[in-house]
Amino acid sequence: MVVLDSPRLWNRLQRKLAKKVKKKTEESTSTHVKQLKNFEAKKEEIEIPEPRLNWMGITREWGVKVLPGEKGLTLGSLNVGVYGEIPTTWSDRGRNPRGAIASGARLPLAISVQDKADLWANSAATLYEEAIQRRWIPATDIPWDQLAPLPDDIEHAICQVCTELMQYANTDIEVITNWQHKMAYGYHEVKQYLATASFDGARRYEAFRKRALSNGGGLGLESTCQVNRVLLESTGGWTETVATWVFNRLLFALTICRYLERFAYNEAEIKLYQYVGQDLARILSYGIDHLHYAMNADPEKRASVGISITIGDAFLVRDLRDPVLKEALSIIFGAGINGVNKDGLDTFYEMLDTYVKEYLELCAWLKLDRKLEQMPTIFQADKRKR
Amino acid sequence: MAEVAPQNQNVDMDLEWMDKTGSWDTNAEPGRNGLTLADIQIGDYGEIPDYSRNLSGRPRGSAPRPDSMRLGNYTVREKSEIWMDNASFLYEEALQRQWSSATDVPWETIEPLPDDVEQAQCQMATFLTEVEFVAGDVPSRWVAKTSPDFFEARQVLLAQVNDESRHMDVFRKRALANGGGLMRSTGSTAGFVGGIDLSRDFTEMSSRLHISGEGAVLTIFRMGELMAYNDAEKTIYRLCAQDEARHVAFGVMHMRYMSEHAPERRDEIHSYLDEAEGGLLTSAANPAGTLNQTSESLAILLGGGIKKFDEGWRKLVAIRRRQLMEYKKRVISAGFGERFENGRSRLTEIMEQAAA
Repeated sequence: MVVLDSPRLWNRLQRKLAKKVKKKTEESTSTHVKQLKNFEAKKEEIEIPEPRLNWMGITREWGVKVLPGEKGLTLGSLNVGVYGEIPTTWSDRGRNPRGAIASGARLPLAISVQDKADLWANSAATLYEEAIQRRWIPATDIPWDQLAPLPDDIEHAICQVCTELMQYANTDIEVITNWQHKMAYGYHEVKQYLATASFDGARRYEAFRKRALSNGGGLGLESTCQVNRVLLESTGGWTETVATWVFNRLLFALTICRYLERFAYNEAEIKLYQYVGQDLARILSYGIDHLHYAMNADPEKRASVGISITIGDAFLVRDLRDPVLKEALSIIFGAGINGVNKDGLDTFYEMLDTYVKEYLELCAWLKLDRKLEQMPTIFQADKRKR
Repeated sequence: MAEVAPQNQNVDMDLEWMDKTGSWDTNAEPGRNGLTLADIQIGDYGEIPDYSRNLSGRPRGSAPRPDSMRLGNYTVREKSEIWMDNASFLYEEALQRQWSSATDVPWETIEPLPDDVEQAQCQMATFLTEVEFVAGDVPSRWVAKTSPDFFEARQVLLAQVNDESRHMDVFRKRALANGGGLMRSTGSTAGFVGGIDLSRDFTEMSSRLHISGEGAVLTIFRMGELMAYNDAEKTIYRLCAQDEARHVAFGVMHMRYMSEHAPERRDEIHSYLDEAEGGLLTSAANPAGTLNQTSESLAILLGGGIKKFDEGWRKLVAIRRRQLMEYKKRVISAGFGERFENGRSRLTEIMEQAAA
């Protein structure tokens, strides 16, 4: 085993790997081209057709020259002229790129999300580039060598929470991949952003599994799955799925990660929760931005979004009635079973209150009529039973 | 563990969950390449079931809840339907080799090109923008259908979806960065029987997407140096080639696994390969195929302009043959090479058509 005891060494290893990869790719390409040239050298008589060139000059807009800016050549910067015209409905059920001329004869695909109001977020292109710039690698960006044996109760609790968060990540992946192919190509920024988001989900899944299996523990008990169920069974509308996802899962998961970072036991966990937190914040941003766009573009959606959140609340309450997550987090926050009554449980409820506060702030920003007293009692500090 | 009671008894704790875990005392350690997926395939956690009964989406190796509901809409539950032996490696490699089309391509090296070459480049970029995300949408759909017990394979597919999204993006960028624009799409990826989209079985889809479709595109990307006019284009083709090679490897390794572990399906796989071969040149999804808008634009790029169309066409024919030879190698590597000896394959005939 190679001991990599400092971030500098990790970075050096990464740079070395990147150089090696670049060299290997260049060598491989050159070999292929050389082989083709040898092949081509065996001249033979072949019939060369007269070019028809009937595709030349067929374009909706020519002379486009987008220049790279401070952040390089970004996806959003391409939205110029006809290429930046994003229609409110995309009736084409093929894969015609926005701004290109569609081929005449083709069979339709099973694309059903064709209205901009049903998926759009103005920030999608920016989030896409951000996801790529902020990529991280669980294998090498987490200083796994910083993990040290923990008391058994704490290790159990961390492994249990990792198991739960893995299952959240699994649901995130399945939510996106269930919907992505149904989305129209005219809104490629959203499809592209969601591609990065499902990959982020894969990384979360992997990273939490790695944490659970690398410090003397193992995986815990599977999740209660109630919110997972609502998310996976929400197949009627993407906006409604996003509503439950934002309010009852993503915001909740992000709040957990922020608290876990505060109460982390080593540098590896701090990094893990920070990276996961930034990924979750991005998907949450997409979700909020989409809800904002959707409800402004189609005010009737306000009602279905409200219902979706109410249903989501009820299922989150079912999840929270189960003691496992609460106890595991309280043990982590209280530095062991003995600290649960001292600080652990208080911190758990403080975390829940933070979640509810941000939830309500978000409702206010989105102009969703929602008040604390309308929420289930577990979310109300003065009414809840501990 | 459950008998450990808190000192302060203010709150009753259940703690039964502490006794309900997967295998305990697991200590995966990082190796030379960090803590990889392969490093955590240890003990029970490295045991992949031949048939998955997991319908709640629980992580493999975790303790099940008997009262869990069946949430997962998993139709891929047999290991042989999706598995390959190198999934962990491919996934980690995908993570290590991520790149950014905004900043890793030297866009400043692009300079104005003669109009015929720019049009050819933009036509090719339009085509690639159109087809690249087939390979994003389709694997994505299969992820949601696959049991998380086979999560390593799902991770590779998710990396592919991300890669394809970047390909779609980089070719759009190329089309709009040098005084050109998008041109006409081909409609070649519509939903028709025998197409990638409509496959009812994962291996069927993979044989079309990874082995023949992406295989053909990989050959083109590898020849990118011949049709690139600046460092930006060379970089694009190189980076896309390294991604595409990984996707093709998935297909080959999966088919090899399938061949070894589900020999009863070999004849069926041959039927998919029959169809795939039939479309190798005639399918509009192959940029070097017989569709004139892509083959002509490629010939212009390879020759260096309309005036050198003949020279470009010769190179195009060489590329087509290379595509076919590489396809053959892949199929042999996947364990289905007998088709080239027993007369089932039409490759020799197709090889002759390559010059037509």
